Amino acid sequence: MFRMMLYTQWKWSRLLVVAGTLVAFAIPVLSVQSAGEYNLQHWEARALLNSIESWGLAYPILAAGLAVFMAMTAWGPDHRGRHVYALSLPVPRWHYALLRFGAGAVLLAVPVLAVWIGALVGTASAVIPPGLHAYPYALALRFALALLFAYAVFFAISAGTTRTAGYILAGIGAIIVVQVMARAAHVEFDLVGTIFGRMLGWPGPLEIFTGRWMLIDV
Amino acid sequence: MSHAIEMRDLHYRAGKSFEIRDLALNVPTGAMYGFLGPNGSGKTTTIRLMLGLLRPLGGKITVLGGEIPREAPRVLARTGYVPEQPHLYQSLTVDEAFRFHSAFYPTWDRKWADELVENFQLDRGRLLSRLSKGEMGKLEMLLALAQRPELLVLDEPTDGLDPVVRRDVLTAVLEYVSQQNATVFISSHLVHELERICDWVGVMDRGRLVAELPMHSFKNGIKRLRVANAPALVGDAPFVLLSREVGNGAVETWIVRGWQPTMTQYFEGVGAALREVVDLDLEEGFVELLRTFRSPRN
Repeated sequence: MFRMMLYTQWKWSRLLVVAGTLVAFAIPVLSVQSAGEYNLQHWEARALLNSIESWGLAYPILAAGLAVFMAMTAWGPDHRGRHVYALSLPVPRWHYALLRFGAGAVLLAVPVLAVWIGALVGTASAVIPPGLHAYPYALALRFALALLFAYAVFFAISAGTTRTAGYILAGIGAIIVVQVMARAAHVEFDLVGTIFGRMLGWPGPLEIFTGRWMLIDV
Repeated sequence: MSHAIEMRDLHYRAGKSFEIRDLALNVPTGAMYGFLGPNGSGKTTTIRLMLGLLRPLGGKITVLGGEIPREAPRVLARTGYVPEQPHLYQSLTVDEAFRFHSAFYPTWDRKWADELVENFQLDRGRLLSRLSKGEMGKLEMLLALAQRPELLVLDEPTDGLDPVVRRDVLTAVLEYVSQQNATVFISSHLVHELERICDWVGVMDRGRLVAELPMHSFKNGIKRLRVANAPALVGDAPFVLLSREVGNGAVETWIVRGWQPTMTQYFEGVGAALREVVDLDLEEGFVELLRTFRSPRN
């Protein structure tokens, strides 16, 4: 059962997986390569770290992008058939959703592996200045966690009905309206900023996406 | 008599305009049950409730001894379903659709599925999105049959199919039923199609079951009578008067249900004369039944 679920998910998302894997492999390799021979050979630590850090933004963007598209492809065909086929199969709804989620998660393991291998290849191809260290395992693990979290969130949203999406949009809209009204009334109240702060800062759920994504660090 | 499908006091609402209320339906085990009704009468909704695809607001549904929706997965494993609209994943090939579908059904009969592919002349490598309507209809039927179900639920399975494909599909169903003694629940608005194959009939309109009876009773019980000097009030008639129309002169046309030849005596008793008894075919009976149901008295 899971094998066929995995097969269909692969069929629907193989281009995404292949492209995502190539990018996932390329980012850590390029981040080290772009640091430049000069910085590596002359052990210009600060310049090297700045260069590595500038590539760090690519990891959460890639994780979020892969998660969104994988979640969309996971539910897209069922949405088109108004879920009649999925609901008529002799498995409980939670079981079907779990199979779909699992199939997507397994395929997302491929880009995670690519990040890890790319990080190993990138760091192996360069001489790291003394005092700095490579963190290929930690980077790949963080990428995996970010990817899994984003996939879980978008999978849940994507599984919902148009009404669910409406509720989410209405919630976002309500926050914006409250903020605009507070501004209009000259009330010092930064609701959007507060929510973003809570979401993106520790222990917020999106904290894993923020901060520095460093393949090489002190 | 045991029942493959039982519904009691079923209540469901979709928006403000459509409602199923107090629906009671009984499908005998082993029956070919024709579910008739005009478009929008609630046939598809009833089927979806029956299979646990929709959740009722109230009432009780039992299918193959399992309570729906609580035991829906167990029931669905023994039920073949052909929905009104094609619902399979369009990006799969015929062969992939087989493999995907069969993975969920332990009773899948691969050998018979292969035979049906040959009989239906389906191309295994073709994408579902490239199949014609007839080919898709055959594929849906094939998937439902090859899992060897105890119950087949067919929602307008031949709607829009050409006569050749329609014959192929219905022949496959009849062959299967003759082998397995399965129960078939088939919804349609094609009255003549059901007349040929069904032994029970249920008629639905506006979310309510108008009639449920054996096919022979339905076919033989509804008559058109030509009555001279008809009484103004019917009184205690032994039949159900569905409608009456004044014709030329003093002769009226009555549509009645539950007619028996011995009932001619009734007319002598009320001073009327029965001039003619006309058999209505199923379609005419169906139309008259709905017309009566929709009359302001109801």
